[in-house]
Amino acid sequence: MIEVRDLTKSYGQHKAIDRLNFSVNKGEVVGFLGPNGAGKTTTMKIITGFMAPSSGEVNVAGHDVFEDPVEVKKRIGYLPETPPVYGDMTVEEYLRFVANLKGVERARVPSLVARAIEKTSLGDVRRRLIQNLSKGFRQRVGISGALVSDPEILILDEPTVGLDPRQVAEIRALIKELAGHHTILLSTHILPEVQASCSRIIIINRGKIVAEDSLGGITQRMAGAGRVTIKVRRSPPSLAEGLSRLAGVRGVRASDASANGRGHGAIAALHSAFEIETDGGEDAVERIAAHVVGAGAGLVDLRSESADLENVFLQLTSSEEQQNQGVES
Amino acid sequence: MRGTLAIAGKDLRSLFYSPLFWVTAFLLTLIWSGMYHISLGEFAQRANMARMQMQGAEGGPNLHSEVFTRHVALVHFFMILAVAALTMRLFAEEKKQRTFDLLLTSPVTATQIVAGKFLAGLAAAWSLILLSLLYPLATMTIANFDWGPLAAAYIGLMLLVACYVAVGMFASSLTESAVLAVVMALIFSVGIWFVGALSDAVDSPAMVALFEHLSIGNHFSDFMRGGVGVASVVFFLSMIFLNCFLTQRVVESSRWR
Repeated sequence: MIEVRDLTKSYGQHKAIDRLNFSVNKGEVVGFLGPNGAGKTTTMKIITGFMAPSSGEVNVAGHDVFEDPVEVKKRIGYLPETPPVYGDMTVEEYLRFVANLKGVERARVPSLVARAIEKTSLGDVRRRLIQNLSKGFRQRVGISGALVSDPEILILDEPTVGLDPRQVAEIRALIKELAGHHTILLSTHILPEVQASCSRIIIINRGKIVAEDSLGGITQRMAGAGRVTIKVRRSPPSLAEGLSRLAGVRGVRASDASANGRGHGAIAALHSAFEIETDGGEDAVERIAAHVVGAGAGLVDLRSESADLENVFLQLTSSEEQQNQGVES
Repeated sequence: MRGTLAIAGKDLRSLFYSPLFWVTAFLLTLIWSGMYHISLGEFAQRANMARMQMQGAEGGPNLHSEVFTRHVALVHFFMILAVAALTMRLFAEEKKQRTFDLLLTSPVTATQIVAGKFLAGLAAAWSLILLSLLYPLATMTIANFDWGPLAAAYIGLMLLVACYVAVGMFASSLTESAVLAVVMALIFSVGIWFVGALSDAVDSPAMVALFEHLSIGNHFSDFMRGGVGVASVVFFLSMIFLNCFLTQRVVESSRWR
C-alpha cells in the first residue's frame, strides 16, 4: 500500500531522514516509533505529499506521490502534529468542509460526517465552535477529520498527544477498530501505544531505520535476554570467571558501583558490582545466586530485570556507543 | 472545481462571521454617506445658480463628473484600505493555525487553493462595492441621469479592486503574520500607482510609452470618464492574473521548504 524507497530529506547539511526504505501492506497497522526529532514527522509529511523529499520515491496505492499527488491525497487521511482545525467553525461544519475538500461524493457527505462523529464520540459537541473545545476534543476533531473521507490509508502523527488517560484508551480502541478497514501508519514516542495497537513496528533514530519487525518479533528478539545486577562485598578474581561459566549466562561485566552513582562514599567503594547478561530464564538467576553465595562473596544486592520493548527501544535509539555494546553482548 | 468552491465558501463564511467585515462595512458607509451628502448638496447649489444665470438654457454642471466621479474616487481610496484588511488573513492565518497542512494534504492543486481564496476575497470586496452603489441608486429617485458613464466607472472600480484583492492575497501568502500581510498589501497596492510615474524618469520614447501603459492612473481615468477600453480591461486582468500566478508559485513552493 505504501512503498518508501531511499527516501532522503536534507536541510542544508543536516539530514532529517537518510535513505529510508520500508513498506506498509494493506490492512496493517504500523507503528512508527522514535525519539523526538528522529524524522517521523518529516517522513509522514513526505508520504502525504505535504513536503517534497530531497531524493527517493514514495508510492501509495500504485500512485507516485510526486507524479500524481491528487490521486494519493484522495486516499490518505492525515492527522498532523497540530490538529488542523478552524476555530470559527462548528465540529459538524468542519467535517463537512473536510469531506468536500477531500472530494467525496456529495450524496455520501452527510452519512460520512455522521459516521466520523460517532466513531470519535463527538456527538455531544457537534454544534459547538471548535475554538471553545478543550485540547483533547480538538485532537479528536482532528482524528475525525482524518477519517471523515473514509480513506484507505490513515496517517496519524502522534494521535494521543494531549489526551487524558481515558481518552487515550478510547483512541487506542478506535485505532484497533479501524485496523481491519484502513491501512494505518501512526507515529509515536510512547511505547505502550504501539504495544496496544500496532501489528508491526518501525523504529527510527536520527533519520535511519534501526529496527523493523512485528511486535512479537521485536519482543522475541529480546525475550531471550535478561539482565541480573549483583553487588558483593568481596570479589575474589575467580568470581567473575565462575559466573561466566554458568549455564544460561551470556556475559559478565564488572561495573564500578561507586562510579555508576548507586552507592555513596566509603561503603560503596567496598562493594563491587557485576552486570550479568542471561538468557532470561529463572534458572539462570537461581544458579547465579547459588554461585555467589557458594563463593562466599558476601552478596548484598541482586536485581533481575527482563528486557521489554522499552529496553529494546532505549538500546536501539540511544547513542551509537551504547548501540554497539548492545550488539556485542 | 469542487475543492475551489469548498475553500471559497469556507473563507467567505469565515469573513462574514467575523466582526472585521461588518466593522469595515459600517465605518465605510459612515464616511461614504457623509461625503456623498456633502457633494450632492454642493452640486444642487451650483445647479441652482447655473439655472438662474442661464435662464433656462441647456447645460450646467454635470452630475457624473461632479458627484459620481468624486464618489467613485472616494470609494476607491477606502477600498485600498478595506481590501488589505479583508485579504490579510487568507493565507497568513492558515499558516499560523497550521490549517494550511490540511489544504496541502487534500486532493486540491495549488491553483485550486489560490482560486478559492481569490474568489472569497473578491466576493467580500465586491459586496462592499455593491454597498457603495446604493448612493447613485438613491440619487435616481431625485434626478434623471445617464447610467452609461456610471456603469463604466463601476466596472473600472470593480476591476481595480479585484487587482487589490490579488495583491493582498499575494502579500498574505508571503507571511504567517496578518499584520505584516496588511502592511505589505497596503504598500504594494499604493506602490503600483507610482509605476506610471517612472515614465518621467526615463528618456527613451519606448520606455516612456511602456511606463505610461503600466500606469494604473491612466487606465482607471479612462473608466472614470465613461469609457471601457479593451486595453484597460486587458491591463487589469493581466494584473490580477500576475498576482494570482505569483501566489500560486508561493503556495506550490511551500512543498519544497
